[in-house]
Amino acid sequence: MDDGTDDLRAALEAPAPPPSVALLGAVGTPARVRTRSRFGAFAAVALLGLAWPAYTLAHAALRPDLKLLPPMWVAVGAALWGLSFGLALWTALVPRRGDVLPASAVAGRVAGAAMGLLLVFAAFWTTSVPGVSARPEDLGISTLQSSWGCAKVVLEAAAPVLLIGFFALRRLLPVGARAAGIAVGAAGGAIGGLALHFICPMATAGHVLIGHVGAMIAASVAGALIFGALLDR
Amino acid sequence: MEPEALEAAELMARYCDGDVAAFHQLYAKLAPRVLAYLKGLLGERAAAEDVLQQAFIKVHEARATYVRAANPIPWIYTIAHRTCLDELRRRKRSRVRLTKDGTVATEGASQTAHAAHITGVAEGAHESEEPSAEAVAAMAALQRLPENQRQALILTKVHGRSIAEAAQIAGTTPGAIKLRAHRAYVTLRELLKRKDPAASGKELA
Repeated sequence: MDDGTDDLRAALEAPAPPPSVALLGAVGTPARVRTRSRFGAFAAVALLGLAWPAYTLAHAALRPDLKLLPPMWVAVGAALWGLSFGLALWTALVPRRGDVLPASAVAGRVAGAAMGLLLVFAAFWTTSVPGVSARPEDLGISTLQSSWGCAKVVLEAAAPVLLIGFFALRRLLPVGARAAGIAVGAAGGAIGGLALHFICPMATAGHVLIGHVGAMIAASVAGALIFGALLDR
Repeated sequence: MEPEALEAAELMARYCDGDVAAFHQLYAKLAPRVLAYLKGLLGERAAAEDVLQQAFIKVHEARATYVRAANPIPWIYTIAHRTCLDELRRRKRSRVRLTKDGTVATEGASQTAHAAHITGVAEGAHESEEPSAEAVAAMAALQRLPENQRQALILTKVHGRSIAEAAQIAGTTPGAIKLRAHRAYVTLRELLKRKDPAASGKELA
């Protein structure tokens, strides 16, 4: 049965014109160019993005309850933050084998899933050591006030990742720049969250949800807005 | 990778190494398909030919971002699609200006002609045989679809690109492409059925 696609094919098929004068002029005698590697952008952004949290971890005091917390909780938390960083950045910047462009839509979904998992982790599996772990009420401040400092740390960690990620994707003519921005912003936020997992003394769910995961989500929203406005033109 | 993609990847690699003949071979291989895709999106051949030339200029400028051994076909379609979106946006802006003062009635057309002049597309280059009534009806129905559905339909049902490739070109997920292509297919069939009196008569009987 004719469903219209054969007619469409007939309507659309036609010989293409030869290359125009302008195109031939632009191509001229093309110079040899050094092409992009699949992993170059990822390696550059990951290394430079890791520099700040590595410096912070090396110089800041570790949380006082770290040795008393369940090792499984510490390991799972670190794995979640670390994998969120690695996977979101990998899918945003590394094309699949045989592809030229990274799959931005997939990257956006991976970042979304990572943020969802971290929200669940923070909401339902926050652990504290009574008497050792800090709580905002012990310091006489609200959860919101206690979260501001950590949110700043997450956003400071995300900023260089967003900046370098932006320059890495700038010349790629990508489609789905917003989704790529979500992923790169989330990756930057996750690396900040990973550092805080080891240094932040606050152990309440509200603080981690707002100051750590909330700031990561804010970084991914910033990525979507910046990449969407500047790359998706 | 399919033989077609392998051949395109080899040509692209030679082109990046400075082989101008490889560029011409790549153009000859892909330009007719990219033109058909652009014609489906824009609805007119002259504008599609102009965007095709612009798209290949962009491919040339962006060739350093190519990843060796990768399939360049979806990438070239993506660049063509971006260039097409720019053209559609430019047209929209022209229309807005037109409604505001009403004195630049031919602005859009003259800009396309000017662009065609700049890119060197010959005026007679788009003359071809008279299309059949069915083809005209199918093209008219295609233009009534939303842009993203039109894109999905042309890529998957008309050009036979895989769902994964179409998703890559559109910058979306395979699931979204499947849904858009299905919706477009259903709407297109509806629209063509309505225009076909014989089919309508059969339905009434």
